[in-house]
Amino acid sequence: MKLRIDGATCTGHGLCYSVAPHLIEDDEQGYGHVFGDGVIPDNQLAEARAAVANCPEKAISFIDD
Amino acid sequence: MTTADAIPQIDTDALPMGDSRDQAWRATQVAPLIAIADGYAVTTRRGAEAVLKHPDPFSSAKAFDMLQSPVPLVPIAYDPPTQTRYRHILQPFFSPRVIKPMEAELRRQVSALIDPIARRGHCDFVGEVAQIFPIQAFLTFFGLPLEMRDQFWGWKNAVIGLTGAGFAAESDAAQEGIKKALEMYTYFTELIPQRRGAGGDDVLSQILAKQPPDDLTDPEAVGLCFLFVLAGLDTVTDTLGCGMQRLAECPDKRQEIIDDPALIPAAVEELVRLDPPAPFIPRVTSADAEIESVRLPPETRVSTYLGAANRDPAVFENPHDIDFHRPENPHISFGMGPHRCLGSHLARLELGILYEEWHKRIPHYRIKPGTTPKVHWPRGTVGLESLHLEFDKAEE
Repeated sequence: MKLRIDGATCTGHGLCYSVAPHLIEDDEQGYGHVFGDGVIPDNQLAEARAAVANCPEKAISFIDD
Repeated sequence: MTTADAIPQIDTDALPMGDSRDQAWRATQVAPLIAIADGYAVTTRRGAEAVLKHPDPFSSAKAFDMLQSPVPLVPIAYDPPTQTRYRHILQPFFSPRVIKPMEAELRRQVSALIDPIARRGHCDFVGEVAQIFPIQAFLTFFGLPLEMRDQFWGWKNAVIGLTGAGFAAESDAAQEGIKKALEMYTYFTELIPQRRGAGGDDVLSQILAKQPPDDLTDPEAVGLCFLFVLAGLDTVTDTLGCGMQRLAECPDKRQEIIDDPALIPAAVEELVRLDPPAPFIPRVTSADAEIESVRLPPETRVSTYLGAANRDPAVFENPHDIDFHRPENPHISFGMGPHRCLGSHLARLELGILYEEWHKRIPHYRIKPGTTPKVHWPRGTVGLESLHLEFDKAEE
């Protein structure tokens, strides 16, 4: 399972890197980006779910490997 | 296709916003699309997305005409692609990693503001804290002397007062307001050329140091300064006042953040969800549009009622309850889509610092008996006129 942020939909609310700091980082514009290839370690599934659920733009989704 | 006469009409000015914001927002949730005095309003999360994420046809270009601003309101009164350019230029200066270094200085200022109040044992939280701190944060952000606080306070009130009467009004009060607004205009008009190329490390100097094609003209920069004063001061004041009222009225919720300050970021989100300070987002259709199966002609005003969308039962469980443990809180008090609040990260930083430092010093407080916090209503924003708090005096 991977985490994906749709760059065209993200407007930089910044909640994702607050709730999922191990999976998502901010850039200098304040947009969120997944670390590496976005693969979610088993012990960080809760963080990933929180990022998806809290995005006001629905820009974050799970995708299959 | 729904006919226009089947849409429920709501008299927004007659909502009980003054005494009960929760009841007022509930009263707007009678249908996903409601008819209001000057057009329509969407009241659900789905409706908010349909409007705010689609600048074509739900345009911002004419939506702020009622403010009658003498300067271009950069970037809120523009649509993409012009607005996209402004956002690209401005957004880095408002991003979390750029804002973060201000934290220590803002925390110091908040401590200096609260310490004397803690020793006194009572205050008007709105007048003495919530109105003061956001102006100081703005001055700090733009590298202006804190001594200009009262000056900006007067200017801001004059400009905001004029947005009701309009710059064309002829009454004495309006003339006085216009005089002060012109003073602020003159101040920024003189400040901007001084800061351009001066190499200062404040945000205004850095914005003005941008090179073509990312440079702003002087009028654009003046417009940005005006917008910051219009949009960045009272909004924080209003959400702080409403938030503190809820904390004062819910000692059990307050105890949660006293016991666990790590909960404060979640509390900030929840308090902002319940009381969006600028909850009526205007748009004007630029072409034929359709919302909730209702066809709207061009030039129709469509407002998004954020306080209602934030209480949409399809998105939020127990939407009218205050809950600092919501597993999901995708509220849209900072808007959504391309115009998402540029200052949201600064606002969140200010709110978090204030709630933390206040509760460290004054964990237990109550609304002064005999006083009732009231929202000034009707008005385009939602904030308290005053909030008189009492508490045990801190040791000298």
